[in-house]
Amino acid sequence: MTRRVAVTGIGVVAPGGIGAPAFWDLLAGGRTATRGITFFDPAGLRSRIAAECDFDPVAAGLDGEQAARCDRYIQFALAAGEEAVRDSGIDLAGENPWRVAVSLGTAVGGTTRLENDYVLVSHRGERWDVDHSRAQPHLERAFTPSTLASTVAERFGARGPVQTVSTGCTSGLDAVGYALHTVEEGRADVCIAGASDSPISPITMACFDAIRATSPNNDDPAHASRPFDNDRDGFVMGEGGAVLVLEELEHARARGAHVYCELSGYATFGNAYHMTGLTSEGLEMARAIEAALDHARLDGSAIDYVNAHGSGTRQNDRHETAAVKRALGHHAYDTPMSSIKSMVGHSLGAIGAIEVVACVLALAHQAVPPTANYETPDPECDLDYVPRAARERKLNSVLSVGSGFGGFQSAVILTRQRERTR
Amino acid sequence: MSAPPKRRAAVTGIGVVAPNGTSTENFWKSTQEGVSVLDRVTREGCGHLPLKVAGEVRSFDPSAAVEERYLVQTDRFTHFAMAAADAALEDARLGRADTGRAPFSAGVVTAAGSGGGEFGQGELQKLWGKGSRYVGPWQSIAWFYAASTGQISIRRGFKGPCSVVAADEAGGLDALAHAARAVERGTDVIVAGATEAPLAPYSMVCQLGYRELSPVKDPARAYRPFTEGACGFVPAEGGAMLAVEEAGAARERGVPVRATVAGHAATFTGASCWELSREGLAEAIRGALAEAGCAPEEVDVVFADALGVPEADRAEALAIADALGAHGRRVPVTAPKTGTGRAYCAAPVLDTVAAVLAMEHGLIPPTPNVFDICHDLDLVTGCARTAQVGTALVLSRGLMGSNSALVLRHGAVGAP
Amino acid sequence: MSDRITVEELSDLMKRTAGVAVSPEELAERPDTAFEELGIDSLGLLGIVGELENRHGVPMPPDAEHCKTPRKFLDLVNSTLLAGA
Repeated sequence: MTRRVAVTGIGVVAPGGIGAPAFWDLLAGGRTATRGITFFDPAGLRSRIAAECDFDPVAAGLDGEQAARCDRYIQFALAAGEEAVRDSGIDLAGENPWRVAVSLGTAVGGTTRLENDYVLVSHRGERWDVDHSRAQPHLERAFTPSTLASTVAERFGARGPVQTVSTGCTSGLDAVGYALHTVEEGRADVCIAGASDSPISPITMACFDAIRATSPNNDDPAHASRPFDNDRDGFVMGEGGAVLVLEELEHARARGAHVYCELSGYATFGNAYHMTGLTSEGLEMARAIEAALDHARLDGSAIDYVNAHGSGTRQNDRHETAAVKRALGHHAYDTPMSSIKSMVGHSLGAIGAIEVVACVLALAHQAVPPTANYETPDPECDLDYVPRAARERKLNSVLSVGSGFGGFQSAVILTRQRERTR
Repeated sequence: MSAPPKRRAAVTGIGVVAPNGTSTENFWKSTQEGVSVLDRVTREGCGHLPLKVAGEVRSFDPSAAVEERYLVQTDRFTHFAMAAADAALEDARLGRADTGRAPFSAGVVTAAGSGGGEFGQGELQKLWGKGSRYVGPWQSIAWFYAASTGQISIRRGFKGPCSVVAADEAGGLDALAHAARAVERGTDVIVAGATEAPLAPYSMVCQLGYRELSPVKDPARAYRPFTEGACGFVPAEGGAMLAVEEAGAARERGVPVRATVAGHAATFTGASCWELSREGLAEAIRGALAEAGCAPEEVDVVFADALGVPEADRAEALAIADALGAHGRRVPVTAPKTGTGRAYCAAPVLDTVAAVLAMEHGLIPPTPNVFDICHDLDLVTGCARTAQVGTALVLSRGLMGSNSALVLRHGAVGAP
Repeated sequence: MSDRITVEELSDLMKRTAGVAVSPEELAERPDTAFEELGIDSLGLLGIVGELENRHGVPMPPDAEHCKTPRKFLDLVNSTLLAGA
């Protein structure tokens, strides 16, 4: 018998939307959370804007010890995890701990903390033979990316497979996809899945500056993230985290849990083309969508909404439009497709999980979040991008796609009522 | 109608870049001879740090292994990975023409515990020493944990499932299991494994916080698990990649199946909670044996995690006894990594390579620098031991709390 | 330092910032060979542009990073440096 996987809880820390209700409010209202960087002095950078979270770890439910010990990206995951577990109503203390797994993604992990301490030990970049006596305690926790899943597993008492996934900007989708495999194939009954990143730091802003990937529209940050719009000029850095409680469906039903939807399909492929470049054909992303449909046993025509990667770079939005058309055929033209990065920016490894949570909320509210700032069509991006305002729509199956540096192309499908179309 | 035969993940190729050998032949020669290459750290800018002993890869010439542009554009951990992947695929006789026929059926999985730290330090130095505009374009693709998987996928034209487990030590086994499961689901070949390059100044400063790190400056005494002298572990660089291929596909190509990835399980018992790791490791062993359909008595050798911290060593010895019963006291146990150091995620991948070679040669390699065992284990010390090895159990635990067990069978399993 | 970028300087930049070795003679002989063909991809060219901007203290035109060949790149960059001098 095939094991099916239910989403029973969600939690999110996103710019302008901490907690699922506030997050959905932001998306439904088409408001943008992008602004001038306040975390450090961005003078000298080409892109000096970002979508920052106004996040207070203690207000978000963390205790003082967690707040002091954990890097910001781990604080996001803990806060989103608390919300998701509470939302699911699951009593983790009553679960068999060996059957509870954790799968969390991050692209850059503890690099913000690593940079802060680097400045101390190197005397602001003067020395290669760094001075270890100036390092702050517990720097090893920032060095090791598995600190993310490890900390969350410790918090929730998980003793099953605990993994941190790091596939660049598809980390969030892939962490959710690995969780699906883990539960579906019987290695766990419950999986705390999601992703987190806090990359708004000088080194990460500078490295995307160097390749001109981020928007230089510093004069108008609120309108700088413009996916699919003809005037788009790069992505706007974001931060945040999102966590889902995934459960084997019968396990969820047995405890009378509210089931938001099922996680029905996942696939990932590499484009084997370029570390940052994308082809104009989108062949590999199309293959990922088709394989995810196969996994969900759905036809392309069953997809009611596409949650796009939609980063707002010139190449991405064309690549993705081509991929969705290739995979869904003419149905692509009848299917709304939007990018929430227009509102919450691009939080690298975290965004895939934040977008999956947006899809869960879209299914719950039967509404499609918009693409903010979409005004002028690009002739090569000719789908329905849901300009500016959310739209009510009957939704049963939704698709979320992502592309990442390294060539990763991933797709996740969520289904509300599982009536197989084939 | 009969069900299609179960797809099985086979090891058909091995590529090694280790402190004790940068080819499979050299690695095996040093490993079975029990040579220890632990030594004082010589990498630039590291000499003044209190971490004095490590396993350095000294006989690797990156310019001979990868194209010149990668020397500028990627970190040392990726140089290791590309070289090991090339060697594994060549060993498996998987040329570009073979994988090019079905590019979506060839993937890459790596585990990474620290990413491109040396490269990242260089770019941080430019940023803070000179200004943000001095950060080059390669930082965006060289520092992050996914660098090696991405570069190998592109260089080899592999479009299949590509993954990265950002992990502690045990993640090396999880990456191999991840590859095996992808093969079982339908991908024909995955090049999988881990390489690490944590011996750069700032990366070493970051590791100083591990309380399990050995403070001993004498290379012969710094890493001696399961003894009264156990005082922590010694880090290392390098690693290995394996060609993990569907057994039927290998048979069709006429390539021998060297070993079958038969079972795996992973658990978590908390960072540095070594006493609890007894239960976690035993549970992982039971899970891996169950998946492999393997009775405890069938295990012919155990490649131990061998952290070198007294409470962790005790937990591991007890976990082996808990999971294997009376057989746990009789089965030969070995830890060749005492001669090379622990290359984080890559450590259990090198153990997996040693396990495959041990099965092929009927020879269990010894545990260098280790004598006078203070636990109830049959630890192979001194020189290699001749033995029929049909089933190997590889164990790993990570500093962040992961436990993992992998069961390998010699040759093909369930072949018609 | 001369304010004109020579093939020697471009060759050196290609080697140092992208790890791609093409001799100045070859660049001079075949200035219309595509950068891609020489092994310089989009990131490689961005690295060269960034290095030139730091060295000369003037911003290069946005088109510099899109030049397909060494000839086009040198023409554009040198006209910019000349105008700025």
